[in-house]
Amino acid sequence: MSVKVEASHDGIPHNKVMVIGAVISLVSLYIAIIGTVIGVDYLAFFGGFAAVGALIWGNSTIKKLCSYGIGTGVPSAGMLAFGSGVIALLFAATLGGISIWIVPVAGLIIALIVGLFLGWISNSVLNMKIPVMTRSIAELAAVGALALMGFGVVATGTVGFTGIATIEILGVTVYNASYIGAGVIAVSFMLGAIALQHPFNACLGPGEKQDRTNMLAIECGFLSMIIMAVISFVFVSLAAAWISLIVAIIGWFVSYVKYLALSKRDAAAWLDAKPFSDAEE
Amino acid sequence: MSAIAAKPGANAGSFQPIPSVIAIVIAIVLVAAAYFLGSSGILAGGAMFVLQTLCLIILGAALIAFGVHFVPVGGAPAAMGQAPGIATGVAMLATGAGLAGLFGGAWAAELGLGVALASGAIGGALMMAITCLMVNISYVFGMGIPAASGKVEKDPITGDLQAAYKSQGTEGHGLPFISYVGGVIGGLFGGLGGTLIYIELLNFYNAGLPALGFVGAADINMLSVGLAGIFAIGMFLVIAVLSAYNITGTIEGPHDPKFKRFPRAIVAAILASAVCGLVAMLVVALF
Repeated sequence: MSVKVEASHDGIPHNKVMVIGAVISLVSLYIAIIGTVIGVDYLAFFGGFAAVGALIWGNSTIKKLCSYGIGTGVPSAGMLAFGSGVIALLFAATLGGISIWIVPVAGLIIALIVGLFLGWISNSVLNMKIPVMTRSIAELAAVGALALMGFGVVATGTVGFTGIATIEILGVTVYNASYIGAGVIAVSFMLGAIALQHPFNACLGPGEKQDRTNMLAIECGFLSMIIMAVISFVFVSLAAAWISLIVAIIGWFVSYVKYLALSKRDAAAWLDAKPFSDAEE
Repeated sequence: MSAIAAKPGANAGSFQPIPSVIAIVIAIVLVAAAYFLGSSGILAGGAMFVLQTLCLIILGAALIAFGVHFVPVGGAPAAMGQAPGIATGVAMLATGAGLAGLFGGAWAAELGLGVALASGAIGGALMMAITCLMVNISYVFGMGIPAASGKVEKDPITGDLQAAYKSQGTEGHGLPFISYVGGVIGGLFGGLGGTLIYIELLNFYNAGLPALGFVGAADINMLSVGLAGIFAIGMFLVIAVLSAYNITGTIEGPHDPKFKRFPRAIVAAILASAVCGLVAMLVVALF
């Protein structure tokens, strides 16, 4: 199983992408938490940037892991990432009862621990024998936790458990219409998992280029953020929801135009091969 | 790309004794830790309740891991009619069957454990039966190919010869009877395991959330349902993907030689569900 097929020569090494993605994600989450602490919710759109940062990191990890051929397709890695990420995220959210400042870092650390267990299981018990397996699955779990936390912030404006488990309707605290109680978290779960697994799955192949794949990851992140911003009209103030929605649409549009330009750049190079020109004569 | 590299090594299918023993020991340590947390009052409901919850979560995960191995997964070759099975990946199929069962079981949760488990198992099996039927209809009437297995001479249940119907250059195609039966059994186990995890977590959160201070509203049950649901989905996906890694791609059903790898997946599921289950239960811990 440990036959490595090089996907592409990366312009930026994986470790650098990982640090960039993690820093964007954590800084954005902390900016959003500042908003929670001072009592305003129009910083909720920073959650979208946190999710995009995490997705850039996760995309690079998936590329590294799947260059070994895991035999089950790229989407399974995205599902595993968010399956373990959601468990770490909700545990970290309850730690927000101690202090809301520890939630993002706690989520990262708990996800890494859970991911290390799962990675060790895949590599040793299931005998996958892939050198980067343990590290990659730990990274993917952390990506899942951070991206879900980001989408949660877009929708509800906070990372604490009380914020995502309750909602005030006409001054009454209820649970069944909250982010968790109404099952909105399942929507963000799937939006995140698809946004994580799609970019490399769509771009893989001999002509795969790092900048194009990363741009697709950013585009998928903002596309998911649009839906979370629409959902956020229920949970946050009208102004905050409109800010999130406009930021998400602008981000998606810019990244989509750039992705299209990169695709045209790479597609033109491919068309020169003309595979069927002789057969048609 | 992954298809090119997916050449299993010489011992890819063999059982790994030393890592497996380490995994079981870690799982027992985690269960003991849960017992300790229950007896010291950090987890609500008492030591035995915590122990029972975690053990049944592990049992549910083991059932899922076992069930995944029955499902006939064809992958991309099946989409071109060059290999038997349903034309998608293990993770997607197991998720489809398991979540269909989970929703069925969750709907029946208030009718008692037995009804809920039966409802979950039948929901998963029904989903797989319909999927297998429609797959065979599209293979036979859409693509014009008969169902034939490439791994066995005769169908183990009906005794039908397979080689005469198999096209040259393929590994078989369509869904033979044994694969169909395997798919239904896989859905049965998947739905049962997923529902068991959901019901145990639901009962645990119903007991634990009021102790955490979430009281005063009548709809506390809805919060438990949301939490248990998302955790059950997350754990189901983790177990299904780990089992998929064990199968490494495609499997025809219970007659496939790869089916013999299932003990390894059960060991993996025991440790993975012990870790994930403990973290999920710590959500309602009193620090």
